[in-house]
Amino acid sequence: MRKQFVFGVVAAIAVALLPAVSAAPSFADDSAFATCTDLASCGGMSALVKAAQAEGTLNITTVLRNWADYGDAVDAFQAAFGIHINDDNPDGGSSYEINSIKTAPAASQPDVIDFGASHVAEAAGAACPTDFTQCSASIFANYKVATWNDIPAAWKNVNGNWFGNYQGQIVIGYDAKLKKAPTKISDLKNPAYKKVVGIAGDPTGAQEALISVMAATVANGGTFDNVQKGVDFYHSLKTSGNLSGATADSTHIATGNPKVWLDYSFNALGTEQLGAQIGKTFKYVKPADAAVMGTPYLFAVNATAPHPAAARLWVEYLMSENKGHLAKDLAGDEAANVKAGTLDGAKLFNSLMGGQNIFQLGGAVPIEIAAMTKKKLLVASPSTIFVPSAGDKLTPTQPSVAQQATAIALLKTEWPKI
Amino acid sequence: MLIADDRAVLTQVTGGDGSSRIKKFTFDKSVLGLLPFLLFLGYFLLYPIAAIVSASLHNNEHHLTLSLYGNLFSGNYRDAFIGSFKLAFYSMIVAGIAGALICWAVVKTSGVIRTITSSAAGVLANTGGVPLAFMFIAAFGQEGLITKFLLKVFHWDLYAGSFDLYNFWGILLVYCFFQIPLMVIIFTPALENLKIEWVEANESLGGSKLQYFRHVLIPVLLPSYLSACLLLFASAFSAFATAAAMSNGTIPLVPLLIGNLVNGNVIPSEANQGDALAMGMVLVSLVVIAAYLGLLRVTRKR
Repeated sequence: MRKQFVFGVVAAIAVALLPAVSAAPSFADDSAFATCTDLASCGGMSALVKAAQAEGTLNITTVLRNWADYGDAVDAFQAAFGIHINDDNPDGGSSYEINSIKTAPAASQPDVIDFGASHVAEAAGAACPTDFTQCSASIFANYKVATWNDIPAAWKNVNGNWFGNYQGQIVIGYDAKLKKAPTKISDLKNPAYKKVVGIAGDPTGAQEALISVMAATVANGGTFDNVQKGVDFYHSLKTSGNLSGATADSTHIATGNPKVWLDYSFNALGTEQLGAQIGKTFKYVKPADAAVMGTPYLFAVNATAPHPAAARLWVEYLMSENKGHLAKDLAGDEAANVKAGTLDGAKLFNSLMGGQNIFQLGGAVPIEIAAMTKKKLLVASPSTIFVPSAGDKLTPTQPSVAQQATAIALLKTEWPKI
Repeated sequence: MLIADDRAVLTQVTGGDGSSRIKKFTFDKSVLGLLPFLLFLGYFLLYPIAAIVSASLHNNEHHLTLSLYGNLFSGNYRDAFIGSFKLAFYSMIVAGIAGALICWAVVKTSGVIRTITSSAAGVLANTGGVPLAFMFIAAFGQEGLITKFLLKVFHWDLYAGSFDLYNFWGILLVYCFFQIPLMVIIFTPALENLKIEWVEANESLGGSKLQYFRHVLIPVLLPSYLSACLLLFASAFSAFATAAAMSNGTIPLVPLLIGNLVNGNVIPSEANQGDALAMGMVLVSLVVIAAYLGLLRVTRKR
């Protein structure tokens, strides 16, 4: 650790002293990867893989294995490249992620963070300009992944400071033992669901709960500009005695309360698998009265990433649209072969299933979905995740960051009162 | 603090001439033994508090301001302080009464039962957080073992009425689970210190049981009883993990709001407000601890 630190200081001084005229950076040392802004300026995929392997480690934070099928991505990345992934504080939130870049010791900072879209200003340390895509933070490195053009313009910083990765649609989860299965959000008012309707947390603390209130707003004829109708809906659930105080996370769901809840689509698979383990059946359905997608989560590469090459490889991997292998389909010695020089890093990268398709497998909506559908690169999400319903035919709508901020301001005062 | 007091008294007694004045400045080697503890205290308590004080006095533009403290007196922040206060106060009352009764029973017993009770109290008082919440959910939740047992054997549906674990009263119930044993631990010594001679003296002077209770027991025990209650209040006021596992923001509590502001996924750029809320809690705790120490001094003098 100490050696690394000394090396880091020496490298930093060396970079500072490098004359700006040297047009072609030398990739012999790791420092060039801290500043390269796309695959070409990093020297290509093979060089990036090699450098990331030399670093040997990747720090990520606040990543849950069953969140959007992240576990599969982590496993395949570790197995294929032989790079160890440290996941700090899996249960943390976006503020925590940004704070760890700002305050953690250099070597233990996260290399890449996956955070909520409303937190860009917090990372920047100042209010964002009206054009959200211009908002950028100096704690992030500018880096444009190879699939940059396939990310919708509204959800990426113009310079590559941050970019969207995936989003969740609000779906209804329920215990299959219920006599009447819900198919739309208004069904949550069913008197049979006394004390068992859950929300995925405090809407002023959990993004999925906030978007649940927005979905309830839409289901009740409201718009994203004013979520009062959603608050009223939950208020009516509370007065009727349907609303449970139990947070709709997989642990509470497993204990039998709540039995009906709203959550992001990418949490469905993990909860269903948990149910199978404990002898319960949980099902998910897309509601027929509201197709609402949350603001996407964003990736940003730490400007002072302790493993700059691994950081860039990780975002390239998670933004890749490739169909291909997961960890279980690997022959097993790829990482060693790349290190030995008998396998080209770029070839290995292209043989792996890209993160965008892994998110799709996990029930999330990958941010590049439109381009991937057009290119026929999108894998089918497992038909078993969601019960077929009228909600499948709706096209989801999505709030803006500004609408989200308005909703938060209202919820801060109104939610504790419901 | 008490050690320091004792020493001050000692110097006063032995002092009086010039030589003892010089003595005051000699280096006390026993401080060296305390050094690790003092360093620990400084790094893990004083330094974080200083950082929180500083953050709570600055807004996001890094300007000095008291506005974050002003916010504590209105809206949902005020409601949260009231909620936390209510929860702490009610659990103090329940545990204060139930715990004292158990203490009384404990000192009346002896042998194995007494040992078991006091060691159990020691363990239970330190059971908290998420495990405690899930113990209750596993027992009294809608599919909990006891809930199912009651339904099967006595055909009594616990959830038919207004009973629920996931509301204010449910959290209060869970809090009592660690508050009552805590009371047993801290109040038993006071009861143990009651001297049998006092009962005998009261009887030989012709005093009734009521007189013994009014003129001996209450004056002797009240300060330690009240200080024990204050400790219960502080313990419930600051608890976080149990409440976090059992609510979704509809029960306003300060620690939960701080969690949302500092570690949430929704509200950006308001960690400083969380720091101000934390300082609000520190101030409430300081008042409680000051009262506790005051009472403790009264108790010691007896």
